[in-house]
Order: sequence, then C-alpha cells, then structure tokens
Amino acid sequence: MTIDLYHMAPSGPCRAVRMVAKIIGVDLNLKNVDLMAGEQNKPEFLKMNPQHCVPTIDDDGFILWESRAIIQYLVNKYAPDSSLYPKDPRQRAVVDRLLYFDMGTLFKAQGEYFYPQVFKGQDPDPEKESNYKTALGYLEGNLEKSSYVAGDKLTLADISIVASLSMMEVLDYKFSSFPKISAWMAKVKEEIPDYKAMNDEPLQGFKAWVKSKKPQ
Amino acid sequence: MNISPIDFYYFPLSAPCRAVDMVAGHLDIPLKKKFVNTWQGEQLKSEFLKLNPTHTVPTINDSGFVLWESRAIITYLADLYGKDDVFYPSNRRKRAVVDRMLYFDMGSLYRAIIDFQIPIMFRGEEPDAGKERVLLEKLAFLEQFLTDYPYVAGENLTVADLSILASVTFLEAIDFTLSSFPKIEAWLQRLRKELPYYQERNQDAIEEGKRMLSERK
Ligand SMILES: N[C@@H](CCC(=O)N[C@@H](CS)C(=O)NCC(=O)O)C(=O)O
Ligand SMILES: N[C@@H](CCC(=O)N[C@@H](CS)C(=O)NCC(=O)O)C(=O)O
Repeated sequence: MTIDLYHMAPSGPCRAVRMVAKIIGVDLNLKNVDLMAGEQNKPEFLKMNPQHCVPTIDDDGFILWESRAIIQYLVNKYAPDSSLYPKDPRQRAVVDRLLYFDMGTLFKAQGEYFYPQVFKGQDPDPEKESNYKTALGYLEGNLEKSSYVAGDKLTLADISIVASLSMMEVLDYKFSSFPKISAWMAKVKEEIPDYKAMNDEPLQGFKAWVKSKKPQ
Repeated sequence: MNISPIDFYYFPLSAPCRAVDMVAGHLDIPLKKKFVNTWQGEQLKSEFLKLNPTHTVPTINDSGFVLWESRAIITYLADLYGKDDVFYPSNRRKRAVVDRMLYFDMGSLYRAIIDFQIPIMFRGEEPDAGKERVLLEKLAFLEQFLTDYPYVAGENLTVADLSILASVTFLEAIDFTLSSFPKIEAWLQRLRKELPYYQERNQDAIEEGKRMLSERK
C-alpha cells in the first residue's frame, strides 16, 4: 500500500508523520506543497482539506489531516500491536495526554517564541522564552520519572515532541539547562531510522533560508 | 457495569471541565466533584501539584490513575466505559475523524475563542478585530464541517461534539452571537434538546460561572 502525504519537508508536524510511517514500514508517496507560494489555498487542495494545512494524507481515498490524528491512525491501522501506541487504556491515555500537551502547550509556546524570529527577523522575546521554558520544565519533569516521555518505551508522543523541539535547531537553540531533555533527544534521534535524512537535511535547508533573509 | 466514582477536579466555567462532565453524563459515570477555584490559585496548592504538576483542571483520579488534558480524559472514559461503538468509534477511519476534530478544537477553535474572549471577559477590553477575524475563520471551518454532516465528525454524536459544544458555549459568557453561522446554531439547538444532561452539566455550570464573574467585577 502507498499513502499520499502532502507535506512540506521542514514542517514539524509533517516530519512527525514521516518518522512514524518509517518506523512501522508504511510507504509514503511524498507530495510537496509549497506553502510560501500558497499552494495549500488552491482549489484542488481545498477540496481535500478545507482547513488548508499540511500534513494531509490520502489513504486510498480517505483524507485526513492534523498530524497527531494521522500518526494515531497509521498505527491503529497498519501496526495495531506496536508499542508506539499502546492498547492498554491507561498507557494509551498517557500518550494522548502528551500529544495534547505537545500541541497545546509545548509547540504553542515554542511557536510564539520561534516564528517572530524566523519569519519577521525580530529579536528573541524574553517573556516568550520564559513561557517556553516553563513548558520545557514540565517535559523535563516527565523525563525525570521515566526514560521516554510517556513511560519506558518509545511512543508517538516522543516522536511528535522530537519533531517539535528539533525545529529549534534552525535557531541553534540549545536545551542545555534541561539535561534530561537533551539526553532523551539524542537517544530518540538514534532510534529512529533515517532520522537525519527526514529531519536534519530539511532543517538545514530551512536554516539557510532564514539566514538568507536576514539583513547582513 | 458498576463503576466506582471518579474524582473530578473542576472549575464550573472552564470549557474543558464542562466537556468532561458532559461525557461522564453521557456514559453514566459517577463523579466525585472537587471544586478547584483557579481564580484564587487553588490549583497551585501543593496537594494539587502532586496530582498534576502542570496545575490544570480538569484532572481526574480513577482509582489511583491520575489524568489531565480534557480530550485525553474523554477518550479514555469513552474507551473504558463506552456503551456503544458510536460515541468514540473503533472503526479506524471514523475514530481518526473524531481525533482530528478534537485537535481542531484544541489547536484552532478553542484557542481562537480564548484568545478573543479572555481579554474582554477578565480585563474589560474592547474586542480585538484581528482576534475576532481569526475566531470567525475557525467558526467558518466548523460551519463547513456541519454543512457536510449533522454532527462534527459525521452521522452520529461523538465525544468531539461534546468537546466542541463546551468550547463554543463558552462564548455565551460574553454574549457573542453565532447568528451568522446557521449550521452551528442549528447544531447547538439540536444538542440542547437531545442531551438530557445538557442543562445541568453545561448550562447551569455556565450560569454559575457568569454569576462568579459578576461578583468578581
Ligand atoms: N495542528 C496541525 C498544524 C498544521 C499546520 O499548521 N501546518 C502548517 C505548516 S507547519 C500549514 O500547513 N500552514 C499553512 C496554512 O495553514 O495555510 C498539525 O499538527 O498537523
Ligand atoms: N488543554 C487543557 C487546558 C486546561 C486548562 O487550561 N485549564 C484551565 C482552566 S480552563 C486551568 O486549569 N487554568 C489554571 C492554570 O493553568 O493554572 C485541557 O483541555 O484540559
């Protein structure tokens, strides 16, 4: 089976989908959507996804968006016994809790700090950084209790959160005041097959683009 | 099934709390309600932080299993105590659409509602035109989904309806009108009538919240 993935390479949520598909052995047919050129607002794309965002998948006519819903779906459908998304209701609920934490707290706080710097060339805002660090502190607290964010095994929550946090490499941001996060990130990156090709390369490209926009 | 009562830490006006309350009503799960006055910082007390270090309500304690994040709570409750295969369907595609709508609620719709509403409600600010535009855009997405289907995730009522219902009705606290969204209006009217627990678990909670708001001013 091949699933179409509409994506943009450096986008965090898109990278999360690619990493999960790779781990469970689902082939993706990548379809690039140039967001800078507004391709997501073309009628063909809007017909699929009126919310005009990537990632969006087309699995034999079933269209789905929202990265975290996509990765849950991929495991439910193609790797139902995988420990990436445990079946035990309590373990599963903890993974879900962290996916919502990623979306609503961590990635949100990160975006508010990150986007004005990369897209508007603004200076880092200390208040935004402090909110971001509060969110990182919660994550650090989790990792003091268990070796992965939702327990003792790699789950969808680790992948979603690594996809989010790795975005900060574009700014050379270091997580040095969060030793658990730093060690956990290094470990997870090692564990994901083809991590570099799916993440480092597009992020390097994005970083070069950000640099090229900066007034010299 | 005999379900032992679940501790439910809540604040009445809070939309995510009302969502959990309605889902418990839908599934006939007994709740032991524990009021946490977040306007007075009760969520920062050490006993509560021990349960949930991120100090948010809703939080539940189900015989020692402590969980927060409303949408994780409601899918957990539906998975464990569901009475049918409709409310949180096991069919993978159907479930994925429900999950997609829960993320839409959290990241787009409810986010836009709070961004717009909080400054008006707590700081008496004038409505911000930019934030209102974002909110109207998200409501338009919902209007579109409800044009295609009678419920937010398809032909049947699911947990996503109750999460979004709790979010959208938060707007009642600032008397925001949805009259330019006929499908949303119709869906709201329908749910108000259809859900036997609506009055007690959503409307009364909002009224109580409004009362508290007026006393705060
Ligand atoms: N919550 C969504 C976020 C998706 C999202 O915001 N995607 C961005 C790229 S990272 C996008 O498509 N933006 C274009 C647009 O919204 O028009 C997810 O996790 O999939
Ligand atoms: N995404 C969370 C949001 C929870 C949340 O922000 N709750 C608010 C009340 S609506 C709260 O507890 N605020 C107090 C605090 O954060 O300290 C959920 O859906 O449960």
